[in-house]
Amino acid sequence: MQQVLNEFIVALRQSDVGVSPAETLDALHTLKIIGLDDRPRLKTALGLVLAKSQDQKYLYEQLFDRYFQVPGAPGAEVDEPVGADATAAQNPEDPMPLIADGDAAAAVVSALGRQLLDGDAAELSLAVATAAREAGVNQIQVFTQKSRYSYDVLQRLGMDALNREINTLNQNPADLGQQLLLTRLQHRRQQLVDQVKDYVEQQYLLFAGQQGRRLQDESLQKVRLTNIDLHHYQHMTRLVRKAAKQLAAQHARRRKVAKRGLLDVRRTIAANAAFDGIQFRTRWKSVRIDRPKVVAICDVSGSVSRVARFLLLFLYSLQDVMPRVRSFVFTAALTEVTDCFAELELEAAVSDLLNNWGNMSTDYGRALRELDAHLLSDIDNKTTVIMLGDARNNDADGNAGVWERVYRRSRRVIWLNPESRVSWNTGDSIMRDYAPFCSQVEPCNSLRDLTRIFSRLLRHS
Amino acid sequence: MKIKHHDKISSPEVVREGFEKLGYICSDAIATAMYLACQLQKPILVEGPPGVGKTELAKKTAEYLGAPLIRMQCYEGLDEVKALYEWKYGKQLLYTQVLKDQLGDILRGARGLEESVSRLHQFGDIFYSPEFLEARPLLQTLQVEDGAILLVDEIDKADQEFEAFLLELLSDYQVSIPEIGTIKAKSTPIVLLTSNNTRELGDALKRRCLHLYIPFPEPALEAQIIATQVPQMQRQLREQLIQFVDQLRAMALKKAPAISETIDWARALLLLNVESLDRAWVRDTLNLLLKYQEDIEIVEPELGRLLNPKN
Repeated sequence: MQQVLNEFIVALRQSDVGVSPAETLDALHTLKIIGLDDRPRLKTALGLVLAKSQDQKYLYEQLFDRYFQVPGAPGAEVDEPVGADATAAQNPEDPMPLIADGDAAAAVVSALGRQLLDGDAAELSLAVATAAREAGVNQIQVFTQKSRYSYDVLQRLGMDALNREINTLNQNPADLGQQLLLTRLQHRRQQLVDQVKDYVEQQYLLFAGQQGRRLQDESLQKVRLTNIDLHHYQHMTRLVRKAAKQLAAQHARRRKVAKRGLLDVRRTIAANAAFDGIQFRTRWKSVRIDRPKVVAICDVSGSVSRVARFLLLFLYSLQDVMPRVRSFVFTAALTEVTDCFAELELEAAVSDLLNNWGNMSTDYGRALRELDAHLLSDIDNKTTVIMLGDARNNDADGNAGVWERVYRRSRRVIWLNPESRVSWNTGDSIMRDYAPFCSQVEPCNSLRDLTRIFSRLLRHS
Repeated sequence: MKIKHHDKISSPEVVREGFEKLGYICSDAIATAMYLACQLQKPILVEGPPGVGKTELAKKTAEYLGAPLIRMQCYEGLDEVKALYEWKYGKQLLYTQVLKDQLGDILRGARGLEESVSRLHQFGDIFYSPEFLEARPLLQTLQVEDGAILLVDEIDKADQEFEAFLLELLSDYQVSIPEIGTIKAKSTPIVLLTSNNTRELGDALKRRCLHLYIPFPEPALEAQIIATQVPQMQRQLREQLIQFVDQLRAMALKKAPAISETIDWARALLLLNVESLDRAWVRDTLNLLLKYQEDIEIVEPELGRLLNPKN
């Protein structure tokens, strides 16, 4: 029983339902208390112990159904409709009669052959499950292993002996009884092969179905954002949201750090004025952590636009911890796009924005001039300014003076450049003009970079 | 927890029937969760939209098991002083004033500061003894002789620190007070935590609890609930009402009507002697069911369709 439960929990972990050892123990206790007779109740009860959020419950329920319905799967004590393949013997469409012709059937010597002719579906399923466990099918990792495991399971069931027997029968085409037997054996053998294949497929889905996605997730984190294919965008969006959510959870902690032990004399005296100055109530000093006020400015021309998309997506997924974000995009003219995000669905907003403002020739000079005119007065010593751009200005004047003023007024200036450090200041890149007026200059290529940079931003503010 | 009537929790069915007698109709999942919580002695974390009966579950459990219910409402800034214990500063001060003379007697004749202090020490920490301890809900729970039902309401509203602080209580049913030591529960309480999911709770907390999600009920279950809560209502009207509410929940509303709102509405309709739902009545009483003007504006033009779904 314990092993069955363990395997089920491994399968749960594979589909991203984190189950701790303590919960495994709880599940075992639950099993003991509830018993195995009442399947729906067992399902509910294990759900209470193993799945700890709504989406986990959904995954759990799906997996429970899938796991405990595999014909002959370990632990399927509960009476369940057995899978279609296993019911071959009871199958009304089975072309062969159930009872074998006495003499001919007796001639079958291989164990597997006799088992097939007996047609006991439950027993056969059990044999398949046992053989599968011996073969270690639950260790399956990638889909290419499926046929190897199927072969292995069939070998363990005694396929060799059966094949030899079929060959022998084949050499004697004259005997009609034997020919009939041969056809039946061949038919049953095909059914068995299908059954084993299905079983392995099920196990693959249970134990490794998520593996591929996880590998993909990992590599997408590292890949340069500019190189991501269009068809990965959806996937990437999910990842960005996930990373942002993680970050938000980490930093959603309290906004006040109480310095316990440091008496706030002024507030204590005020609080105790009613008690004739006797110090009944103490007040302690505390430090308030401010949420950063962020102004994000994104260059959305050419190659930068791809990174901009993810940066903006990231910023807006962080709204829980950074509620005061204003965002601007420019190629030549600077436009505020904060409201775009408030009104539209995020994904639509980003692509809308890139369609409207992207793909014009870049002019940092003009953008900064406009920033000087409209935005500079709103930047104060609590503002963090994030600029995303490659600083390629088509050999025009970069207006770095404005950037210096931004730097002097704001709390921090972070410049993210999607190009790697070696290509800065080559060609028409004027990174050297802006770099002195930044608190932090970072190459920002991948989702991993984004996470790192924002994590630092949130920690310090 | 010392349960006075063990037969009351002998199986989920028994729990369910017992609740039913108290007027709390529950699904199989709820009954199983209560049963497991009693058997495994584990806290239950109850989640679900507001108004589905999370708090009510705790109240009924207390009533059913005949144990006292101790409720702690969580809010931002809740700390251990308010949740666990506090020293009775006033009493301490008052006693030092009253006992001034006694203290003078004790210290009379003592030479030097050192001797005075060592004399005082002979009397132990009089002012930091359990007599001067003001027990707050958590400590009260641990002190109940036969075990209590502790309801930690809306745990998601409390800070993360408080959540961490609860962990010791939830896993070992004990708390540490620096001046006195560790206080163990006299009898294990049954703990229910409720959450509206305004923020994600920590994994450590979730791991220690059974997790029960109470969704909006199925129409059949809801009919049963209304029948128990508002028994005077005609069956036909009840079915009409539940169908209507069920449709509302499928719409994209800011706040879908919960069970408590359905019950309020049913009571109101009964009070107004409504015999069957028609457009005028529904429009006039819709504000009982929907709590946002925007939602009412969405639903109002649809009323005709919602009330006659067949056409």
